[in-house]
Amino acid sequence: MMILTGRTIVSAVTPPYPYGAEFTGQFLFALRLCWFPLLVSTVAFGYEAPGLQAANFLVLFGALDRLGGFFVLASIREFAPFVDAIVLAGVAGTAITADLGARRIREELDALEVLGVDPIKNLVVPRFLALMLVTGLFDIYALLFGIFGGVLATLVNHEPLGPFWATFFNNASTTDLWGSVVKTTLFGAIIAVVCCYKGMTASGGAEGVGRAVNQAVVIAFLAIFAFNYVFTQVLLATHPALTTIIK
Amino acid sequence: MGDLLAVPRGWLESFGDIVKFTSRIVADVASLRVFKYFGETLRQAGILIVSSTLVIWGLVFIIGLQCGIEGAYFDQSTGTPAYAGVFAAWCDLRELVPLCFGYMMAAKVGTGIVAEIGSMRISDEIDALEVMGISGVTFLCATRLLGSMLVLPFVYLCSIGAGFFASYLAVVQQIGDVSSGGYFLIFWQFQNPPDVLFSLIKAMAMAVVIVLVGCYYGYNASGGPVGVGTATAKSMVFNIVSVHLIGMLGTQLFWGTNPRAPIGG
Repeated sequence: MMILTGRTIVSAVTPPYPYGAEFTGQFLFALRLCWFPLLVSTVAFGYEAPGLQAANFLVLFGALDRLGGFFVLASIREFAPFVDAIVLAGVAGTAITADLGARRIREELDALEVLGVDPIKNLVVPRFLALMLVTGLFDIYALLFGIFGGVLATLVNHEPLGPFWATFFNNASTTDLWGSVVKTTLFGAIIAVVCCYKGMTASGGAEGVGRAVNQAVVIAFLAIFAFNYVFTQVLLATHPALTTIIK
Repeated sequence: MGDLLAVPRGWLESFGDIVKFTSRIVADVASLRVFKYFGETLRQAGILIVSSTLVIWGLVFIIGLQCGIEGAYFDQSTGTPAYAGVFAAWCDLRELVPLCFGYMMAAKVGTGIVAEIGSMRISDEIDALEVMGISGVTFLCATRLLGSMLVLPFVYLCSIGAGFFASYLAVVQQIGDVSSGGYFLIFWQFQNPPDVLFSLIKAMAMAVVIVLVGCYYGYNASGGPVGVGTATAKSMVFNIVSVHLIGMLGTQLFWGTNPRAPIGG
């Protein structure tokens, strides 16, 4: 997988660049497939975990207005990227593995190589770039709908929304936002490499493709979670300003 | 726009099919017909234990660490670092352990079932079963449902343990704002046996849906090797969304806006 990553990156930056059309196609494909699952997931998650439970916690202190501040921490830094990555891996990643795996089983990839077409440059690179871009952009979308879940939770507690937005914007920092976008872009890269690798190395007929999808999504989830932990820890440790008191 | 709505429309169409199919599986289990194949059930349960538990616990462990550090930093910001245990207890037990259990079940067990049953369908093994007078739904799907129901509650309770251990590591050993005793005092005070029960119900609801959806997509796979791959991918989409929805409904139903905590009004 590391070799595939290296070859993909080298291949992406060295001319020629024949993958424009495939890139657009993959980008739109992921967009079309993911927007609805992501919408449902982020609203549900935002309402559920950071919304209801954190509101319950803050009500104990009589400080429900801090929920907005909590959403900066919870939604922007943590849960929007993470739900975003889970949905992208589960929806777009599995589709990519199934697609490439089917091509491997039907020997289309071998045929491409015989024709002198580099499958990495023409198939992996566009998916890699498209998934990075889509995951990064969908992060913003996930943020918006996650915060919408928080708004719902505030309304369920019969609280005005003014304090929510006030603490939210008091605490929102650009560092958090770029951290979130960078993180999801890297998630996209992880998902693309794992799923393309598993798809391109599928073998063993009908069961092989299914098993490749299965392994791809398991590895992608574990890699995302492990990377998420390391990234959050590094971001918080290197930017102590992020962990100051909620204003 | 027609393309954009393809996904939700496809769901509505397949939702009815799924309900019809799963009611057959559930009826097989409920009418005890499945006990004809109890050996197969135990074999499926064994496969589940050997192949899936460690990876589920691994994922839950990582999310426990995550809950720990987020909780510790959040409680610094409200000026109550000693209360990091509350955040860890709720984040682990009520929300993220069930969710992560659902994610990993969908990824490992759900897609595994689709790939397995799907390839049996493609290679006509299911038809062969029916010719031999063995009901494919009972033998393949109902045994898997019963097998997972036998095993998963225990797997889930252990994974709660893994999450708790990871949060302890992150809050007390890594961040170190609160002593071990202080952490555990708060941590155990802010949860009670009904919480564990509710959490278990939530996770088991997810698990049942995931197994049933996996069986549906596998049993109805068509179109050669490509079809198995596509069906696996489709089941993942369905499962991710249903995990989130079950999580949300469970939280609303069990905790709602009533925190069930030992302080406050």
